[in-house]
Parts: sequence; C-alpha cells; structure tokens
Amino acid sequence: MSKRKTKYSIERKKAQWGWIFVAPSLAVFALFNFYPIFNALYTSLFKKKLLSLKAPTFIGLHNYAYLLNSPDFWNSIRATLVFTLGTFVPLLIFSLLFAVLIMSRKRFQKFFQMAYYSPAVLSSVVAAAIWLIIFDPRGLANQWLNLIMNTPGIDHKWLANSIMVQLSTMLVYGWKYVGYFTIIFIVGLASIPQSIYEAARIDGGNHWKNFWHITLPLLKPTTILVSIMSMLQCLKTFSTQYLFTQGGAPLAPINVITLNVYNTAIRDHRIGRASAMSIILFIIMLFFTWVQFRSSRADEISY
Amino acid sequence: MSQEFQPNQLEKKGIFQQSNIVDLLIWAFLVITALLVLAPTIFMFTASFMPANDILKMPYRWIPKSFYWQNFWQGIRGNNGSFIYVRNILNSLIVAAVVSATTVFFSALAGFGLAKYYFKGRNLVFMMVMATMMIPFEAIMIPLYLVTTKLGLQDSYAGLIAPFLVNAFGIFLMRQYFITFPDEILDAARIDGASELMIFRTIILPNSIPAIATLAILTFKAQWDNLLWPLLVVQSEEMKTIPLYIVKFMAEKHTDEGAMMAVAVIASIPILLVFFKLSKYFLGGAAVYSSRKG
Repeated sequence: MSKRKTKYSIERKKAQWGWIFVAPSLAVFALFNFYPIFNALYTSLFKKKLLSLKAPTFIGLHNYAYLLNSPDFWNSIRATLVFTLGTFVPLLIFSLLFAVLIMSRKRFQKFFQMAYYSPAVLSSVVAAAIWLIIFDPRGLANQWLNLIMNTPGIDHKWLANSIMVQLSTMLVYGWKYVGYFTIIFIVGLASIPQSIYEAARIDGGNHWKNFWHITLPLLKPTTILVSIMSMLQCLKTFSTQYLFTQGGAPLAPINVITLNVYNTAIRDHRIGRASAMSIILFIIMLFFTWVQFRSSRADEISY
Repeated sequence: MSQEFQPNQLEKKGIFQQSNIVDLLIWAFLVITALLVLAPTIFMFTASFMPANDILKMPYRWIPKSFYWQNFWQGIRGNNGSFIYVRNILNSLIVAAVVSATTVFFSALAGFGLAKYYFKGRNLVFMMVMATMMIPFEAIMIPLYLVTTKLGLQDSYAGLIAPFLVNAFGIFLMRQYFITFPDEILDAARIDGASELMIFRTIILPNSIPAIATLAILTFKAQWDNLLWPLLVVQSEEMKTIPLYIVKFMAEKHTDEGAMMAVAVIASIPILLVFFKLSKYFLGGAAVYSSRKG
C-alpha cells in the first residue's frame, strides 16, 4: 500500500519536473511567437500608424480589401512567386544532379560536398556584397557572359534591367543554397539500400535505367521535402532583394512581400497594412506546409 | 555457341567504353561546377588584396600582384576613422554567443522534458512547439518590433537577443536526440538519490555533446548572419551588428570595392574557420533538418 503511494508520488513529482523543464521555452514562445502572430492578426484590422499618438481606428477587413485592389501588392505577389518558381526549380534539379553525381564517385565525395556547401556558410549580406561587385558593368558577370556568348563589350545590365535583376537575385540565392539541398539529397540517397541495386544488376539494368526506375522513385519523399523546404525559404526571401535595392537596383521587379512589409511598416509607418500583408504571407506559407504534411504522410516508403 | 556469346560480349564492351567517357564527363562536370560555385568566394578573398582599380579591370586577374593591405585598414578604420566596426564585431559576437548558449540550454531542458517525462498535456506542448516552427519570423516581425519597443528594449542587447532565446527547431532536435536515451540509467540515478536537475546536469548534458554542438553552431551562424531583426531594432551606430555595418559601409560614398571585400572577408573568416574545422556539424545540421517530418 505504502509502496504504491510512493510510486504514485514519484510519478507526480516527475510530471511536475516535466512541466518545469518545458515552462521557460513555452514562456518565450508565448511572448515572442504566439502573441505576435495574434497581434498581427488583430492589428491587421486597424488603421494604425507607427509613432502616432492617435488611437488606432478599427476598419475591419479594409486593409485586406485595399491590398487585394493594390497593384503594388499584386506586384509583390508576382515578384515573390516568380522568384520562388525561378529559384526552387533549378535548385531542385541541380542539387539532385550534384548529389547523384557525387554519390557515383568513389573518391573526393567529401571535397565536393564541402565545395558546393561553402556559399551557405557566408552570410547573405556578404554574399550580396560580393555579387554586387560581380554584377558591376565592368565586373566578372559581364566578362564571363561575353566570353561565353562571344559578345565583347556588351553590358548585360545585371542590376538595371528589370528581367536581369530578377535573374540575378535567383542566381545569388541558387548559388547560396544549392549545396544545402545537395546534402539533403545525399542523405536521402545514402538511405537507399545497396541490395536493391544489386538485385537490379542481376536483372540486367544499366545505370541510366537504375536511376529512372529505382533511385528517382525511392527518392520521392526527399524530393518532396526539398521542394517544400526550398519553396518556403524562397517565399520569405528578404536579404538579397533588400541589399540589391540598397545597391541601386530598381525596387519594383524584386519588391517581394517581405520587402514590401518592411517598407510599408518602417518607411511608410503603416503598421495595420503591413500586418495584413504579413498575415497573407503567413497563409500562403501555411498552405505549402499543409501540402508538405499531406504529401509526407502519403509517401512513406518502406524498403 | 560463339554466336550465343556475341551479343553479351558486345554489350559488355559497350558499357565499358561508354562508362569510361561518361566517367570523364562526370568528373569534368563536377570539377567545373565546383569551381564555379567556389569562384565568388575566391573572388572575395583575392579582391580584398587589390586596389579598387584592379578589381574592376578586364579581364580580372585572379592572383593579386601584391598584397594591398590598405583595404583591411580602411575597412576596420571606417570611412570616418571611428573604428566602429570593431565594436560592431564585438556586438555580433556577444549576441551570437548569448543566443547560442540560451538556445542550447533551454532547448536541452525542454527537449529532455518532452522526451523523458510523462505529464498531462505533453502532446499538446509538443504540438505547440511544432506549430511555432511553422510561424515564419517574417510574418511576426512587425508585432515583435512593437512588443520590443513597448518593453523599452529597442537598440539594446536585450532587444537583439530576446526573441531568439530559444527556438522550436532546437527543442525538436534535442527531443529527437534524448528519446533514445535509456530510461534505466535515469532510474538508476534516481535510486541513488540524484535530483532531476542533477540528472539533467550530470547525465544528460555531458552525453549530448554532438547534438549540443550541432545546435550551437547552427544557432551561432544564424545570429551571425541575421539582418532583418537588427535592421528593425537597432538605431545607433554603437549597437549595430556586422551585417548592419556592411550594409552601411556599402552605401557610403567613399567606400571602394577593395575595402568592401576586406570587410566581407573579416566578417566571414570566423565562420569559415569553424566550417573547415567542424564541417560535420554543418553538414549534419542539414541532414538533421531533413528528418523533420510530420
């Protein structure tokens, strides 16, 4: 009887400690994650100016209505989606290609992994600083492109032309993160058991056939994971676009949602409108996360 | 008989010949793309030793004629001679170190609690942690900025640090690590009279060095690079971090490309050194993240 009681109290004590251990983190999340997201939702229903002493006025969904009728905001949606599509598709293709080719080598695997990954080690500000010089009219980008296309002396306007500046941001981003996703693909590839390939070899498959019929189907979960992760990352891109506009690039072609939120709040002081934009961005990202959860559930693969 | 063997032999020969050329092509592709990926970083290092006129010369000379140390002097000194970059580097170090320490500590604590204690509402707490991971910082930065200003923390270390004291990914990482830890060892320690805190300090922490190192390095790196939050919360030159200094330095009229690259090299060297020394934690970090499934 008494033994049972002590066991019970030990369990209770342990439960208490469990709560004590998670409490500090929960407090931080409550204050710095959950409160702000609800606050953003709440603020998005008000007309509110930063630094203004006037009480914010409730305007319902007017901020959302304004945004959905604003060509400027639609341009941001366009810029964000164009950037996301234009970045994540090449990212996916190249990281898969690099991973497969690296894994097909018997030597120097580590070296190539580190080489492709190394740009991710640099900060986004340093990356932008380097590329702004490379994209200078007299810089490396023009020199090399002219060498390849045999068009000496032509300025391709990497930062000035509205199409080129979008390509430039995609190039910088793709360069920076291709190694990161290569590593994830390599982890996925390494988890495919060799016995499957041996079985295929006995059946007479060649490398190319193996890739299409074995590797690619078995890599599907990793591919979906990389797609969604890179998409989510691209949707919230900020640094590259911000620094390019600071470096003199035109704003409109690369005015992604996060940059618009920042400018609307900090430059124009329109907190309510900026919050509404944040919420729309959040909803777009939630949608993609939901897609990820659904697809990762449906695609459990067992060997 | 010989006719039967022929197609087989032909096929073998075909594959052999093909794979030799294909092999060479794959090596060439890997080497060229790796060089292209490395080129901007190499450019940063070589350009930091060149006078600005040489950097934008056609064609670019990848090997500096001589080491032009003035770039580094100008970068550290600043255009107005205030040496504020030194202070800004110190700020980055302080913020990144404190955030790494608190993140590791609170993540380990919460991860341990979630992995090894059975309490009412544990699943709910875990779901909340996972939900936090889904809230992008970019969506909450404006209210976060308002909260921080309301608390009077703008333009201070506390303001730079507070939102990052702990993060959901860290808790998830630590929980995954602890969940395989044998309960018997913990129970044995309890029988010996160890308190729960003592178990955490003397058994759990020393046995989770790989996870701690991964989390600490990833967190340090994320803070070292952080641009958006300092951009919102810092106003004075004294409180700026490295990314903010670079942004400002880039915008200044008297900055030339050489000094710019020197500043970038100084900002990158600590992280690059850690990367070459502890690359397994970087690469492992990417791998761990990929295990984050529903």
